[in-house]
Amino acid sequence: MQFPLTFWDVSLWLAITAIILLGTAELTSPYYGKTRLTIERRRLRQVALLLSILFLITVVARIYGIITSA
Amino acid sequence: MDEGTDMISGFNDPLQLLIFTLVINALAIAFGLLMAIELSKKRRSPPAGYVLLTPGAIALLCSILFESSILAFIGLGLTFWGALLLYIKPARHVKADLLDSTAASSLATISQIIADLDFRGKALYLPPRYLKEIKAGRVYIPSEEVQTIPAVEEVAEEKVFLKNPKGICLNPPGLGLANLYEKELGKDFAKADLNYLQNNLPKLFIEDLEIAEDLEINPENDVIHVKITGSIYQDLCNEARKLPNVCNSIGCPLCSSIAIALTRATGKPIALEKNEISPDGKTIEIYYRTLKEE
Repeated sequence: MQFPLTFWDVSLWLAITAIILLGTAELTSPYYGKTRLTIERRRLRQVALLLSILFLITVVARIYGIITSA
Repeated sequence: MDEGTDMISGFNDPLQLLIFTLVINALAIAFGLLMAIELSKKRRSPPAGYVLLTPGAIALLCSILFESSILAFIGLGLTFWGALLLYIKPARHVKADLLDSTAASSLATISQIIADLDFRGKALYLPPRYLKEIKAGRVYIPSEEVQTIPAVEEVAEEKVFLKNPKGICLNPPGLGLANLYEKELGKDFAKADLNYLQNNLPKLFIEDLEIAEDLEINPENDVIHVKITGSIYQDLCNEARKLPNVCNSIGCPLCSSIAIALTRATGKPIALEKNEISPDGKTIEIYYRTLKEE
């Protein structure tokens, strides 16, 4: 019994989800006149940025792995 | 290893794996949202977040038990979107109609008082040095059309009816909003200047409080022109327009709150000179005049 996804599967999932969320956060921004959406946009942006950072950390881990293995 | 795990390991092309992840995510979200919409049609249904979260958690557990990658992707997607929906849910949502109806009656009362007293002067927003508390606000309405500014000592007594010069001193309808602006920005406007308001109020109105789609503040000599586009107070502003001794004098809560912010930042008494609304009702233009004290 073990979690079936590898580190790189999760990295890919993070990348896709982060892109979707960053796009959504940008398109629902009140600067485009979307002032009547009843969601906490600040929190949505925070989650989008958090996932992006997590994805970038996995990228850094990959680069580090490539450098040290060379 | 089950069929799902075999499928994942079979993806030698990263593009295939990317498309697979995208499709699984999209299917998980679509299925979960569809279920949430169907359930929300029924009365007393659970929030959509829980509807996604529960099967997501079950799918994740099953993915570990059966070592299935497909179940893991489905579970991860459903759990994440469920948790996200719960997290971005607004803390409290009040219908705009409800808000307008509550404020409209208070404005009507002020209008009635002014009409009954037959006070014809334009309202003056008094700067903080007239007040005992920095967070307080007073608007003075003179009895005559001639614009007179009461003495500091007269206002400091905090009486409603003033005798010299004759008039009334009230708490402005936008005082709560103005204090909210200060709280959100973490700054006392009395310690700021007009430049600070010009730079920070638009962001506060558009991004933080989502009061309006756009806000511009343009000072021209002793007149400050404020343009508000797509305000959520649009309907209340239209209601206030039916009360001429409120709309062109004290102003609706939004106009009043800006007047308080301006009087605090400039340190001068402010009068609402002109108030215009575009034919489609989307843009409100307000002209405030700063007054010199004798």
